[in-house]
Amino acid sequence: MRDFDFLVPGTVPEACRMLADLGDDCRIMAGGTALMLVMRQRMLAASKIISAASLQDLYGIEFHPSHGLRIGAMTRHADIARSPTVQRHYPMLADMARQVANPQVRNQGTIGGNICYGDPSTDPPGCLIALNAEVVLQGLQGRRALSMQDFLVDFFVTALEPDEIVIEIRIPPPHGNDEGRYTRFRRTAAEHRPLISVSLMAQREGSVCHDARLVVGASVPVPRRLARVEDFMRGRVVTPEVAHEAADMVATDIPAISDARGSEAYRRAMARVVTRRTISSLFDLEIL
Amino acid sequence: MSTHRIQVLVNGEMHDVEVPARRMLSDFLRDDLHLTGTKRGCETGVCGACSVLLDGDVVKSCLSLAIQAHGKSIITVEGLAWNGEMHPIQESFVECGGLQCGYCTPGIMMAACAILAENDAPTPEEVREGLSGNLCRCTGYVQIVESILNAGEKMRGD
Repeated sequence: MRDFDFLVPGTVPEACRMLADLGDDCRIMAGGTALMLVMRQRMLAASKIISAASLQDLYGIEFHPSHGLRIGAMTRHADIARSPTVQRHYPMLADMARQVANPQVRNQGTIGGNICYGDPSTDPPGCLIALNAEVVLQGLQGRRALSMQDFLVDFFVTALEPDEIVIEIRIPPPHGNDEGRYTRFRRTAAEHRPLISVSLMAQREGSVCHDARLVVGASVPVPRRLARVEDFMRGRVVTPEVAHEAADMVATDIPAISDARGSEAYRRAMARVVTRRTISSLFDLEIL
Repeated sequence: MSTHRIQVLVNGEMHDVEVPARRMLSDFLRDDLHLTGTKRGCETGVCGACSVLLDGDVVKSCLSLAIQAHGKSIITVEGLAWNGEMHPIQESFVECGGLQCGYCTPGIMMAACAILAENDAPTPEEVREGLSGNLCRCTGYVQIVESILNAGEKMRGD
């Protein structure tokens, strides 16, 4: 790893000023699990690292019944997984967080760092889109909020301006009938990153699906909601046949990537399987 | 490039030292403090041989900077034994034959500490899940899992 200076800003405006002044030479460090990896492998050489660890505005998990959930960007995956508040009000989020990578990374990696890296082969972004999450950014001009979907622009590209940092993630309050499922698939148990993930949030009454948000991640350049499938499920009695048909649509509609971890055909095939399992689990169907 | 003064408690002993920004926690422990029980394996966050406890949480010291440990407490494998007595986890690895070459063992023992601290009566499945950040290339994990289950029994006093 090449040498660098380590800067510790005391406040968010100070951190934004550093980012604006230093430009492309610097990177923000949250937990550091991804940043250290790419710097040690010399895929990235930043001469200045700005630590986000000292920024108090970036910590904490709070829930308000009418405002929903606020998760500070420096919150670690393990903190989200263990939070009784998250477990009670957003069980899908807690279930996702407890599966990220491995225990060591969950104890160090943060939700903010994860979304800023923009790595497609990871768990949180798809799940956050299905939860209708917003990302709050702060730069020299002040704060703004973006939907998770707008924040994630492309493969390793986010909407962050050079002087901006992520402050927190906000999730709207859950509906009474909301139920969610997060399912990830790995080729082998030794893998730390999902080959594909499916996040499904449904407003459900028995076997009727009033509304659904369905997102595929990890096998696509950037996770996105699948509108055709959501329209198909809306208002329908969800039977095994419906689950099948929806899964076929997902397999057809995703812009599947093809790389060393999985060919396009394999990823589409697994998208079909994982979607069927996810819908079956949420609607208590026998898995076909 | 920048250097930083850090205070860290390592195995109960306070260290107040100046380190360069780029010093990895694994290098700090091994090269500066000469605590060579913590191993450097893949150095890319995959194998877990460098696992240590940071404020009680298991982390990979090859993905952490020494300066990130400022103000925190670290336990390495050297900190497990107490007054010349092996820790129950260490005893169990000996009794159950939970190692072959031994290179991954310090990291696995630290992961085992975290598993048993959260739940002293885990299922084999939970032990395996807790070890998902650690690789062993000699064994088939069977005796490692047995060692940790056995250590749990000792620690519960069954």
